[in-house]
Amino acid sequence: MTEYLRNPLTGVWFALTAITIFSWWIGQGQGSAYQLDAAITVSVLVMAALKAVLVIAWFMEVRLGPAWLKRTTYGWASGLLVLLLLFYWLRV
Amino acid sequence: MTTTAADTTPRPPAGRAGYMPGEPGMWFFIIGDLFIFAVYFVAYMIYRGQQPELFLHSQQFLSPGIGVINTLILLTSSWCLALGTEAARKGNSAAAFRLLAATFAIGALFPLLKMVEWVPKLAAGHSPGENLFFMYYYVMTGLHLCHVLLGLVIIGFMLRHLRHRASPDIKFIEAGAVYWHMVDLLWLVLFALFYLMR
Repeated sequence: MTEYLRNPLTGVWFALTAITIFSWWIGQGQGSAYQLDAAITVSVLVMAALKAVLVIAWFMEVRLGPAWLKRTTYGWASGLLVLLLLFYWLRV
Repeated sequence: MTTTAADTTPRPPAGRAGYMPGEPGMWFFIIGDLFIFAVYFVAYMIYRGQQPELFLHSQQFLSPGIGVINTLILLTSSWCLALGTEAARKGNSAAAFRLLAATFAIGALFPLLKMVEWVPKLAAGHSPGENLFFMYYYVMTGLHLCHVLLGLVIIGFMLRHLRHRASPDIKFIEAGAVYWHMVDLLWLVLFALFYLMR
C-alpha cells in the first residue's frame, strides 16, 4: 500500500481530486448561482483544461510519447479551451 | 492467477521520450473521438450563447452533487488503472488484477449514479424534448455513458486476460487503459460545461 502512496500517480490523483472539489465549490456560485458569471465560467473551464492535461500527461502517459502525440493531445486540450472561452466571450 | 514471467514482460522505456502506450489503432480511434466530442462541446457553447437564460434556468434542475461524485469516481478508477498498468508492466499480474478489479468496481458506480440522476429528472418531465439544453444534456451524457459501458466491457476483457495469461500482453493492457482514461477525460469537460459554468 505504501508503494502506491509514494507513486507519483497518487500525487496526480490527489491534485485532480482537489481541483475537482475546488471547481465544484466555485461552480456553486456563492450567491450568484444560475446567473451569467464570467469569472466562474473562466475558472471552471481553465481548471477542467488543467485536469485534462494532467490526465493526458500522467494517466495516458503522453508525457513519454512521441512529439506528434503530445502536440495533438495537448493541442486538443488547449485549443478546446480557447474555442470554448471565445464562444462564451462573444455572447457575454 | 499467475504472477510469473516478470522477466519476459515488455517494459516501458522509463524516462525515455517517444514511447507510445497501447496500439496505434487505439490512438487513432481516441484522437478521432476527442475531436468529434470537441465539435459537440463547441456547438453546445454556441447554442448556449444564443439562449443563455434558457440554459442557465435549465441548469438548476441538474444535480451537481451527483456530478462531482461521478467525476471523483472516474478519476479514482483511472488512478487504479494507471497503477494497475504499471504493475502489469513489472510482471506483477496479481497486483495488476486487483487494481483492475478495483477500476471496474469503482467505474461501475458511474452508470448506477447516472440512473439515479436521470430517472427522477425524466419523471419530473425534464426529457430531451423539453428544450435545447436538455437535448444536449441527454445526448452528450448519453453518448458518454455508452463509452463508459464499452470501457467496462474492455476492462472485463483485460481482467480475463490477466487471469489467464502468465505473461500479459502489455500493449493490450495499455490500449484498454488509454481508452478508459479518454472516457475520464471527456467527462471532465462535460462536468464543467453542464454542471459548473454560468
